[in-house]
Amino acid sequence: MKPRNLTKDQIQKLFLSALGFVALIYCYFNFFLGPLNKTRASMIVAIANVQTKTDSSKAEMKKTANLEIQAKEATGRYEAFKATTADGAPIAWFPPKMRGFFADLGINKVSARLESSTDFKQKELSDWVKDTWAIDLPQSEYGDLGRAIAELENSEPLLTIQHVVIHAVPDDPQYQQVSLIAQTALLKK
Amino acid sequence: MALQLNLLHEEITEERQRKRDPLKLGVIALCCFGALLFLYYGWNAYRTIQIKSRLNAAEHEWQRTEPKVTAAQKRAAELRQIIDGTKVLDGMIENRFYWAPFLAQVSHCVAPNLQVTSLDGSVLEGHHSVAVALEGLAAAREPRAAAEEFRQLLTEQLEKTYGEVTVTFRTLEDLETTVNLSGVSTPSARFILSVNFNPKRGDTAKTEESAKAIAKSK
Repeated sequence: MKPRNLTKDQIQKLFLSALGFVALIYCYFNFFLGPLNKTRASMIVAIANVQTKTDSSKAEMKKTANLEIQAKEATGRYEAFKATTADGAPIAWFPPKMRGFFADLGINKVSARLESSTDFKQKELSDWVKDTWAIDLPQSEYGDLGRAIAELENSEPLLTIQHVVIHAVPDDPQYQQVSLIAQTALLKK
Repeated sequence: MALQLNLLHEEITEERQRKRDPLKLGVIALCCFGALLFLYYGWNAYRTIQIKSRLNAAEHEWQRTEPKVTAAQKRAAELRQIIDGTKVLDGMIENRFYWAPFLAQVSHCVAPNLQVTSLDGSVLEGHHSVAVALEGLAAAREPRAAAEEFRQLLTEQLEKTYGEVTVTFRTLEDLETTVNLSGVSTPSARFILSVNFNPKRGDTAKTEESAKAIAKSK
C-alpha cells in the first residue's frame, strides 16, 4: 500500500477528531452511563433490602398467627384470672366480697383488712399485685368452716391461705374463732 | 491503444481529497459511535426504569405490610406476656397448699375423748413446708396414752397424703382436774402437738369431698 502523506491541515483535523472522541467517551461514561448504573445498583440493593424486610415481616406475621393459636387456651385462662379482679381499689371491694361469701355459707360477722400490698418478684407478673389480707371469723362451726375454706380455695384460684388460727370459743365450745391470712394476686388497675 | 487524456485531473483530485477529509470522516465515525453509545444508554435506561418500577412495587408492598407487621409484633409481645403470666399464675395455683383436706384429716383423727382447743398452722416461705401447732385435751383412764394414740393416728393419716410428716409432742402434761366423760369423772391431760410436713400435689380434687367429710363428721 502506498503510504499517504498527511498535510498539516489534515493532521490538525485528525487531532481535533481524536479530541472530540475522547471528550465524547469521557462525557458519556461520567455524566450519562455512570450515574445511570450507579442509580440502578443502588435501586437493586434497595429492592433486596425491602424484599428481605417484607419476607421477614411475613414470617413474623405467620409466627404471630401460630402464637395466637397456641395462646388461645392461655388467653382464655388469663382473661378468667383477670376477671377475678373487680373494678376499683381492692380495699373497697374485697372485704365486702369476703363478708358476703362467708355469710352465704352461714358464717357471719366476718371482717377482712388489708395487711400489705407488694409487687411480685417475677417480671411476668408486673401487671399484678400481691395483697395480704387478714380475715377474721369470730364465730364459726368447724363443719361450716371446712366447707367455707374448701369453697374459697376452689372458687378463688388466685387466693392462697398462708396462715390459719382456730381457737375454741371458751363460753361456747360448739363454735370456733378463726383468723386467716390470705394472699391474693390482683390485677393492677 | 487509444490515448486517454484526463482534462479534469485537478477537479477529480480535489473531489477525492474532499472525500478523504479526516475531519469529515472523524465526524462521521464519531456520529456512528455516538449512535451506538446512545443505543446502549437507551438499553440501560430501559433496564433502570424496569428496576425502578420493581422497587416501587416492593416499596408499595412494604408500606401495605408495615402497619400489619407492627401490629403483629405488638400482639406477639402481648401474647408472650399473657403466656408467661399464665404459666407463673398456673404454677402458683399448682403449688398452693389446700387447707380444707388437712382440716378434714385432723377432724377424722379426733376421738370422742379428745378435744382440740386450738389449731395454728402456717405455710412456710417457699411453700415447701407446712407447720401446725395443735393444742387440746385428752380424757381417758390413761390420758397420755389417749393423746399418744391421737398423735399416731394423725401421723398415719397425714402420711397418706403428705410427705416428710413429723408429729411430735411439744407439751404433754397431766391435769389435776378431771373431766366428766359420759357421766364418768375421767383424768385428763393437756397436749400441744407440733406437726410438720411437705404438701403434695393433687389436693384440689379432694377439697370438695373433704369439706363434705368435715360436715358429716360434725
